Amino acid sequence: MKGKHIRSGLLFPVLTAFLIFSILYVVSIGTTPIDIKTVYRVMADQIFFSGAQTAAGAWDKSIYQIIWNIRLPRVLFGVCCGAGLSICGAAMQALVLNPVAEPYILGVSSGASAGAALALLTPLPFFSGQYRTTAFALLGALLAFFCVYRMAKAGGGGKIQPVALLLSGTAVNAVMSAVTSFLIFMAKSPESISAVYNWQMGSLASAQWSSLRIPALGTALGCIVFFCQSGNFNLIMIGDDDAAAMGLHVKRFRGMMFIICALIVASLVSVTGIIGFVGLMVPHMVRLLAGTSSNRIILPLSALFGASYLIWADAAARSLFGPAELPLGIITAFVGAPFFFYLMIRKNRGGA
Amino acid sequence: MTTAIEFQNIQTGYGKKEILHNVSVQAERGKITGIVGPNGSGKSTLVKTLFGIVPCKSGAIFLDGKNLQSFSRKDVARKLGYVGQDTSVVFDFSVEDIIGMALYHQKKTDLPSKERIRLAMEELNILEFSGRSIQTLSGGERKLVFLARAVAQGADTIILDEPTNHLDIYHQIFLLNYLKRSGKTILLVIHDLRLAAHYCDHLFLMQDGRVASSGIPEHVLTPKNAKQVFGISGKISYLPDGTRDFCMDFQ
Repeated sequence: MKGKHIRSGLLFPVLTAFLIFSILYVVSIGTTPIDIKTVYRVMADQIFFSGAQTAAGAWDKSIYQIIWNIRLPRVLFGVCCGAGLSICGAAMQALVLNPVAEPYILGVSSGASAGAALALLTPLPFFSGQYRTTAFALLGALLAFFCVYRMAKAGGGGKIQPVALLLSGTAVNAVMSAVTSFLIFMAKSPESISAVYNWQMGSLASAQWSSLRIPALGTALGCIVFFCQSGNFNLIMIGDDDAAAMGLHVKRFRGMMFIICALIVASLVSVTGIIGFVGLMVPHMVRLLAGTSSNRIILPLSALFGASYLIWADAAARSLFGPAELPLGIITAFVGAPFFFYLMIRKNRGGA
Repeated sequence: MTTAIEFQNIQTGYGKKEILHNVSVQAERGKITGIVGPNGSGKSTLVKTLFGIVPCKSGAIFLDGKNLQSFSRKDVARKLGYVGQDTSVVFDFSVEDIIGMALYHQKKTDLPSKERIRLAMEELNILEFSGRSIQTLSGGERKLVFLARAVAQGADTIILDEPTNHLDIYHQIFLLNYLKRSGKTILLVIHDLRLAAHYCDHLFLMQDGRVASSGIPEHVLTPKNAKQVFGISGKISYLPDGTRDFCMDFQ
């Protein structure tokens, strides 16, 4: 097996190059096909010369609009979601010592979506706009996380057993989805209902430069914190006692990282809705590729790989069925659910 | 003689259930101190109070005469190495990854990490595990890897919770001889009374969360204690070379 593992050192440049290529290529796909060279030139012009050539009329204004204001925010949105969900998955797997943990399966995404729905559909007087939605999503995510963790702990007799964790995740997922559905049922305005509906399926369609701010902030913060803490994530992956003996304040670390996870998930879900299985699949694929579980390698690689994966999934979502756009959550579920099944079977055969 | 670790009147438990009632245990510097006792007597719990895994409800712990509270967790990790009871690992790490974790919270030295890891492996004679995944090793082999990690930590005190579990007889003796030779302060939770009698300088016998007896093995592993605490008949005897052994009657 060892020879098969691609050296992780090589994976960094390869995955980075692939991500850049993916961004350029995916921007060029769409109902108005634009060749990849033009995409590159328009983007390079915008980034390095603040749009001098666009202003000079080197290409059609509409081309610039499509590339810079419609497709690029969406692709960058995909980058944030892919990277954010993947590092959350990797982090949660370490925090609960379970290879099948991820935001969707543990009900954290549903919690965030219930919170966001509450913010959108009920006329509460405080905060406003997107920040309010995100703040409520955060509360929902934290609540879900807390419930799942406590239930799993109680169910497993003080120790978190994989089965107890999955069951409590399922239970919380069901309750949170029911809360969201109930809120839709109670809502009066059809627009908000359709908005909430969109979330439950997950989609990047609402991407604009202005809506990109929160997810970008959430993901960037998450990446920075998690990368800095990657050593401690390794310690906790060996077990609580061991990590404590290695000098880690286990309870505090787990609590803080849970909050960061919830923050990332909330910043994403409050805009995109539930996109499942990304956080499950990506870290495992990266572990297989790199041949290690060390988070110093897995966390950054998951971010890179997850970003590429999600923008391709989104490209498929918006081009497979012509003008009718497929919700992204459907695609990630179709790809991710069999993977989940594969993980369970492999686990039973021994080995994680 | 100086005391490296001193547990003073420790009282603790999980939730409402009290596991330890007023336990005092001392480990002398450079000696091997063993904690023996039946299952559920609170041995592992006592050891876990050192790392804040189980918080003390009352009592105090002193390291080299200084209150544990005055050390940061990282300082404690630099002073004490720990080899836990459970060495199963859910995720796939290489042996070097595991041992390398010892260095995360250590101060940098002139010696590169790779070299420190290699030296620790060499010391425990496990260089052959190099590059292997921890998951492909047996329970006993994993134990040696975790001991290598404690060695790499460079701590002058090592605490081991049932170190001979899962080890074949050759490796049990290898490991304990290694500890004896190392000259470090060793605190062991140990089930095997023969090994305890032979290797430990001091023993603490625990029963139902209390120290029932303590002192040199001859004073602790008496026929009376064997009967009362373990429900067996046994006594210390001496091997031809004058070292201690514990003889049991297999009835």
